[in-house]
Amino acid sequence: MQVEKFYYDNRIVKNFAYATILWGVVGMLVGLYAALQLVFPSLNVTQYGTFGRLRPLHTNAVIFAFVGNGIFMGVYYSLQRLLKARMYSDLLSKIHFWGWQLIIVAAAITLPLGLTNGAEYAELIWPIDIAITVIWVVFGWNMFATIIKRREKHLYVAIWFYIATLVTVAVLHIVRSIELPYSWLHSYTWYAGVQDALVQWWYGHNAVAFFLTTPYLGLMYYFLPKAANRPVYSYRLSIIHFWSLIFLYIWAGPHHLLYTALPNWAQSLGIVFSIMLIFPSWGGMINGLLTLRGAWDRVRDDVVLKFMVVAVTAYGMATFEGPMLSLKNVSAIAHYTDWIVAHVHVGALGWNGMLTFGVIYWLIPRIFSTPLYSKKLAANHFWLGTLGIIFYAVPLYWAGFTQSSMWKEFTESGQLKYAFLETVTYMKPFYAMRSLGGTLYLIGACLMVYNVYKTAKAGKLVADEAAEAAPMIKEEARHKGEHWHRWIERKPMQMMILALVVILIGGAIEIIPTFLVQSNVPTISSVKPYTPLELQGRDIYVREGCYTCHSQMIRPFRSETERYGEYSKAGEFVYDHPFQWGSKRTGPDLARSGTGNLKKSDGWHFRHFREPSSMSEGSIMPPYAFMLTQELDTSSTAAKINAMRTLGVPYADGFELTANEHLLQQATGIVNNLKADSIRISPTKEVIALIAYIQRMGTDISKQKNN
Amino acid sequence: MLNENDLCIYYDIDSSPGIKAKGKFVSNSFAYLDDDSVIDQLLQFRSAGQMNATFSLPQMHCSSCIYLLENLHRINAGITKSQAHFERKEVFVSFNPTVISLRKMVELLAFIGYEPAISLNDAGPKQKNNFNHRKIAELGVAGFCFSNIMMLSFPEYFSGGEIEQQGLKETFSWIIFVLSLPVLFFGARSIFVAAGKGLRQGIVNIDAPIALAIIITFARSYYEIISGTGSGYLDSGTGIIFFMLIGRWFQHKTYDALSFDRQYKSYFPLGVTVLRDCKEENIPATTLQNGEIIVIRNEEMIPADARIIAGEAFIDYSFVSGEDAPVARKTGDLVFAGGKQKGGAIQLKLVKAPSQSYITQLWNNDIFSKTKNKEQSFIHPWSRYFTAILLSIALLAACYWAFTDASKILPVVTAVLIVACPCSLLLSATFTFGNMLRIFGKNKLYLKNASVIEALAKVQHIVFDKTGTITQTGQALVNFRGDALSAQEETWVRSAAMQSAHTLSTSLATYLHKDNFTTAAPLQHFKEVAGQGLVADIEGARVTLGAASFANAAATTAPKTSSRVHVNINENYKGFYEIGNHYRQGIHELARQLQQGPYQLHVLSGDNDAERQNLFKIFGTQTPLRFKVSPADKLSYIKALQQQKGGVLMAGDGLNDAGALMQADVGIAVSDDAARFSPACDAIMDGAALGKLAAFISYAKAGRQIVMASFALSILYNVVGLSFAVQAKLSPLVAAILMPASSISIVLLVSLLTSVLAKRKNL
Amino acid sequence: MSALFILIGISLMVAASFLAAFIWSVGNGQYDDDYTPSVRMLFDNEPKEAGSEKKS
Repeated sequence: MQVEKFYYDNRIVKNFAYATILWGVVGMLVGLYAALQLVFPSLNVTQYGTFGRLRPLHTNAVIFAFVGNGIFMGVYYSLQRLLKARMYSDLLSKIHFWGWQLIIVAAAITLPLGLTNGAEYAELIWPIDIAITVIWVVFGWNMFATIIKRREKHLYVAIWFYIATLVTVAVLHIVRSIELPYSWLHSYTWYAGVQDALVQWWYGHNAVAFFLTTPYLGLMYYFLPKAANRPVYSYRLSIIHFWSLIFLYIWAGPHHLLYTALPNWAQSLGIVFSIMLIFPSWGGMINGLLTLRGAWDRVRDDVVLKFMVVAVTAYGMATFEGPMLSLKNVSAIAHYTDWIVAHVHVGALGWNGMLTFGVIYWLIPRIFSTPLYSKKLAANHFWLGTLGIIFYAVPLYWAGFTQSSMWKEFTESGQLKYAFLETVTYMKPFYAMRSLGGTLYLIGACLMVYNVYKTAKAGKLVADEAAEAAPMIKEEARHKGEHWHRWIERKPMQMMILALVVILIGGAIEIIPTFLVQSNVPTISSVKPYTPLELQGRDIYVREGCYTCHSQMIRPFRSETERYGEYSKAGEFVYDHPFQWGSKRTGPDLARSGTGNLKKSDGWHFRHFREPSSMSEGSIMPPYAFMLTQELDTSSTAAKINAMRTLGVPYADGFELTANEHLLQQATGIVNNLKADSIRISPTKEVIALIAYIQRMGTDISKQKNN
Repeated sequence: MLNENDLCIYYDIDSSPGIKAKGKFVSNSFAYLDDDSVIDQLLQFRSAGQMNATFSLPQMHCSSCIYLLENLHRINAGITKSQAHFERKEVFVSFNPTVISLRKMVELLAFIGYEPAISLNDAGPKQKNNFNHRKIAELGVAGFCFSNIMMLSFPEYFSGGEIEQQGLKETFSWIIFVLSLPVLFFGARSIFVAAGKGLRQGIVNIDAPIALAIIITFARSYYEIISGTGSGYLDSGTGIIFFMLIGRWFQHKTYDALSFDRQYKSYFPLGVTVLRDCKEENIPATTLQNGEIIVIRNEEMIPADARIIAGEAFIDYSFVSGEDAPVARKTGDLVFAGGKQKGGAIQLKLVKAPSQSYITQLWNNDIFSKTKNKEQSFIHPWSRYFTAILLSIALLAACYWAFTDASKILPVVTAVLIVACPCSLLLSATFTFGNMLRIFGKNKLYLKNASVIEALAKVQHIVFDKTGTITQTGQALVNFRGDALSAQEETWVRSAAMQSAHTLSTSLATYLHKDNFTTAAPLQHFKEVAGQGLVADIEGARVTLGAASFANAAATTAPKTSSRVHVNINENYKGFYEIGNHYRQGIHELARQLQQGPYQLHVLSGDNDAERQNLFKIFGTQTPLRFKVSPADKLSYIKALQQQKGGVLMAGDGLNDAGALMQADVGIAVSDDAARFSPACDAIMDGAALGKLAAFISYAKAGRQIVMASFALSILYNVVGLSFAVQAKLSPLVAAILMPASSISIVLLVSLLTSVLAKRKNL
Repeated sequence: MSALFILIGISLMVAASFLAAFIWSVGNGQYDDDYTPSVRMLFDNEPKEAGSEKKS
C-alpha cells in the first residue's frame, strides 16, 4: 500500500458554478418580470410572454437550473474531497453537465411555447422528462462509482444527504412523470382528479424536501464547518438528524390539500406528519447555528459565514412556518393567498439562495487560487440580498393575510363585503413593493456576477488540484478470521430486510391493478366525460397556465360557497387528466364558472379574453386576444380521445371518428350565441373551445340536482 | 508537547508539524519493539511490505492532535496511513516496515509528544467492541418500523375506524403486520433473552412480564389481522419496544477513553531486556522465566520479583504499596514486581515468574476471576409482585366475564396483560439512571454502568486509601525549620534538588520554585547517593541534601511526623525541610459531611504512620486508621466490612488498591488524569471531584426515589388502562394514546427531576 | 384513491432501502467513531510539496 497522488476535478465544479450563476440571474429576472406583470398587466406581451407561461418558466429556472446546478456544484466539490478521490469519470461528469444545461434550454424554449404538463414543478413535457431521468442516472452512476473507489472509509454525513437526494428525486420524478403521450410533445398524466392531486403533492412536497432541502443540508454540513474552520457542533446529532429524517420524510405531502376533496384522514395524517417534521428540521438548524458558537466575531468579518447564517436562519423560519401552515385553521386563512408565496420565497431566497451565494464566494477563490476580488462588493451583495428578502416577504405576508380576511368578510346583512376584483386591486401596492424586494435581490446577484468575473480573471483555474491519500484498507485484512463470523451473524438481518422489500414489491404489484380498475368507476353518476370541444378547451387552459392564478377547488367554508357555489367533491374530477385544482388565487376560483351566480354569458367571456380590463375594471389578467385569431388544432382530437379512453375515460368505441363533427357542432352553438351578442367569429378559433370548457365547469353536479 | 508550543489550534499548524515539536525519550526504552514476537503481538496485520497497528495515545486532546496524527505520512515516507479515533484516544497506523520499523514508528510518535501506552495488556488478542453495532441496528430497525407503523395507523384513528376506501384498511393492516415482524424477532430479542436467562435461574426479573406483554400484544394483534376482526395493537406494541431500546441506549453511556477493567498487565512493560550470554536481548515479558537475568533502567518497572545482582537500586514502590518515599536496595536484596527504578541501570535475577510475583498474586484471588456479582437492580424484585398482582387481576376479570359473557374472557385477559406491561417502570429506571450517569460524568465521576448508581445509594462504609487518594501526589506541604536560608542559598538548594528524581527532591524543587523565580544555577559537580542524599557543587558552594546522617544533622528531639530533607551548605548544617502530605482540597469538609451522615469512615494506608496526627485532625478519633496495610490485607479488610450491614465504598488509586476496589461494592479509582492509568474499578473519579463524594452518594440515593416516584405515575396510567381493559373497552386508539402518553411523560418527568435535584445538590 | 396504494408502496420501498443502508452502515462500522470524521473533513489533503504554497 502506498500513499497515492491524485487530482480533484475543479473544472466541472467551475462549470456548474458558472451555470448556477447564469441561470440564477436568468431565473430571478424572469421572476421579477412576472412579478411586475401583476403590477403592470401591459407587460404581458405576445402569447409567449404571458404570466401563465412565464411563471412556470421562473419556478423551473430557479429550482432546477439555479438550485439544481448549485447542488451539483457543491456535490462535485465536496464529494471528491470527502471521499479523497477524483470523480469516477470525467466523461460522465461532462455528460451530466451538458445534458443538464440542454434540459434547461429545452425547458426555456418549451415553456413559453405553451408546451406543459400542467402540474406545478413538473410542467416539462415527456421527452424532457425522459432526458432528466437519463441525466440523473448518469449523475448517480458517477456518484456511486466514486463512492466505491473512495479512499476514506467513513462516509461523511453530507454524502448520505446526497445519496438520499439522488435516490428519492429519481423515484419522485418517475412516479410523477408516469404519463401517456399522444404526440411527440404532448401527453396526459396517468392519474386522474383526486389521485392526480395526491401524486402531485406527494411529489410537490417531496420535491421541496429532497431537491431544496436534503442536498442543501448536505452542503450546509460540508461548507459551513469548512468556512468556519471548526467541526460541526455535534456530529452525532447530524447522524441522528439524517436517519430520522430519511426514515419518515417520504410520507409528507397531503397537507397541501387541506380542506380539499381529499379524505379527511389523509389530511389529518398530513398535519400530524408536518408537525413532527419540526424536530428533524430544527435539529439540523440548531446543529448548524451552534457550529458557530464562540465564533460570532468571525461571522462579523467573514461574508461567507454571514450568508450562511442568514441561510440557516431562513431555513429555521421556513421549517417552523411550514408545519404551522399545515394546521387546519392556519391553512384556512393562508391557502390560496400570497402568504404561501412569501413562505416559499423565505425558503428559496433565504435558505437556497443565500447558501448558494455563500458557497460560491467560498469556493470560487479556492478553485482559482486567488483571493476574492472584492470583499466589499460581497458584503454589499449580502446586505442587498437580506434587504431584498425582507422587502419581498413582509409586504406579501401582510397582503396575503389581509386579502384572505377580505375574502372572508361579510356585511351585517350576511352578504360578502368585497367583490373579488376589489381584493385584487387592493394587492397592487404590495405587489409593487414585492417587486422592489426582488429587484434588490437581483442587483445583489449581479454584483456577485461581476465579483466572480473579476476574481476568475485575476486567478487561474486550478483545473486539477493535487492531493494525496492512502487507499482504503479492506476490512478483511484487519479482522482476519473474525470477519466471516460477523458476516454470518449479520446475515439473517439482511435476509429479513430483503424479504421485507420483496414482500412490499409483491404486495404493491398485486394490489395496484385491482384498485386502478376499481377507482375508475365514477362515483357521481351525473359526472360525464368532457365533450371533444371542452377537452380541447381544457388543454388550452392547461397550456396557458391558467392554474397559476385560478383554483378549481371550492373549500367547504361559507365565505367560499357564498362566493363560488357548492364546495367541490372528489367525484367531480374523475376525468381530469391532469387535475387543475391550482394552489393560488390571484384570480377567482373557476370550479363552478359554468353555473350559479358566477356564470357569465359567452359574449362576456369573449370580450373578457380579448381585453380583461374592459369587462373588469382594474383586472390584472393578461389579454388573450391571440386566441380570437388562432385556429384550434382539431387534428389532435382523435388522438386525445383515444388516449383518454386508455386512461379509463368512458368514451364510446369509435367516438374518436366522429369527435370532430361533434366538436364543430358544439362550437357552432357557441358561435350562434355570440352572434346574438353581435360578435362574429368562426367556430374553429381557440377561444370558442376555451369558452366551452369554462361554461362546462361545475355543471355536472347541478344537473344531478335538477334530475 | 504540542500544547506547550501553543499549537493547540489546528489552523495554526503548518504543514510539517513534526519538525517543530520536541519530545523526550530514552533512546533504547523501546528496544523491545525490535523483537519479532513482540511485534507480532502488537500488530493487527503484517505482510512483507505493510504493517497495521493501533496505538493508545492518552495525550490526544484536541483537533490539532488529530491533524498531526493523521498527517504522519508527511513526516516519514514509510507511513502510508494514519487515522485517529479521538474518543478512544487511539491512532491506527499503516506503514511500510522496510522503511520504518515498528520501533521507529513508536519512537516517532514519542518524539512528537505522543508516546504510545504499550503494556503487557497489548499482548494477545484484542477484543473488538462490536457489541454496539447490534444495539444500534436494533434501535434503528425498531425506530423505522415503529414510526412507519404509526403513520399507517393514523388513518384508522382519524377516520374513527371508518375508512371508506375499500381494501385500504386491510392493506394497511397487512403492511403493519409485515413491519412488526422485524421488531418482534430482531428488536425485542434482547428482552426475550434477558427474561429467559432470569427464568432459567428461577428469578422473575422485570424483563419477564414485559416479554409476556409483548408476546400477548403481538399474538392478539396477529390474530385480529389474520382473522380480519381488528387492526391490533401493533403500533403500541412496537412503540414500547422502541422506547425501551432508546432507554437502554441512553443508559449505556460509555467513556471510550476510559478503561474500567485494567489489571496488572496494563501497567507492566510489554518488553524486557534480558542478559543472555552477556548479550542484551529484548524479549516479551510474557516469556520471562524464573532465573532469567534482566536489565532495568531508569524509570522502568520491575516485571517480576527478583534479586539485585548488580547496580544500585532505588525503588519507588508508591504504586504498589502506597509508600511515598523510594527505598534504596543493595546487591543481594530482594525487589518486588511493580517497583520503579530511579537512577542508573541495574541487573536483576528473577526469583519468580511475572504472574507469580507478590503484587500479581493479588490477581490470583477469586475476586478477579469472576465477574463482579452485582446485586440485581431493585426494580427486579418489584416486578415479581407486579407480575403476581397482574396475573390475579387478569384472573379476577376472567372469572367475572365467565359469569357474564364468556366470549369476552380472552379479549379481556389479553387486554389486561397488554395494558399492564411494566415497561414504564423499566423506562423510568433507564432514563433516570442514564441522565444521572451524564450528570455524574459532568462532575468528573465516571461510572462504569448504571448499576453502580444503585450500589452507591446503599453505601454505609467508606474506605479511603491515603496516598494518592486523599493526598495529592506531586503537591507536598513543605516547611523549613532551622536557620533561615538566604535567597541565594535557596536557589542553590533548588538547583541541586532539581537534578534528582527522588520524590522528596522533586517536591522540594517544586515548592521552592513557587517563591523563587530566579533561574537555576549551573552545577559544577553532582553526585547522588541512593537512599542517602545528594551532593552538588554550585557556584563554588557545596550543597548537601538528604538524610540526617548524610547531612551531618544535629540530633533533634522533635517527634518525627513527616519526611525530612536536611540541608548542609559548605559543611554548615542549616536545618531541614519538613515535607508532609498535601491533602486534597475539601477533604476536611468531606469528612465532616460524611460523618454527619450514616456513614462509617475508614482509612487504609500502605505507608508508614508518619501522618497519623494529621489524619486524626481530618477524620477524628472515631475513624479506624490502618497503616502499612498490604494489598491483600486491604482486600480482606473490605471483605470483613461486607459481613456487616450496608455497602462498602472503596476509594483508592494504586495497583495496591486493586483487590480492595474489586472487592468493594463500589470501587472508585481516584486519579488526577482520568485518561491515564487506573486500576480495575466501578468508577473513575477525577481527584478534584473527591470533595463532592458526599453529594454524589446522596444524589444516588435520590435517584432511587425518583424511580419510585415515576413508578407511582406509571401505576396511575396502568390503573386507567386496566379500567378500560377489564371492561373489555380497550380499543387500539386508547392503547395508542396511553402508550406514548405514559412513556413520554415519564421520560420527561425523570429527566426533569434528575436535573433539578442535581442542581440542588450543586452537581 | 388507487394512487395512494402506489404512493404508499413506493414510499415504503424507498424507506426500506434506506433502512437497509442504515444497517449496512452500522455493520460496516461507519459510526464507530462519531467525532473524529467531523474534524477530519476540515483538513485538506494537499501533497507535501504543494503544502506550504497556499493557505487561505
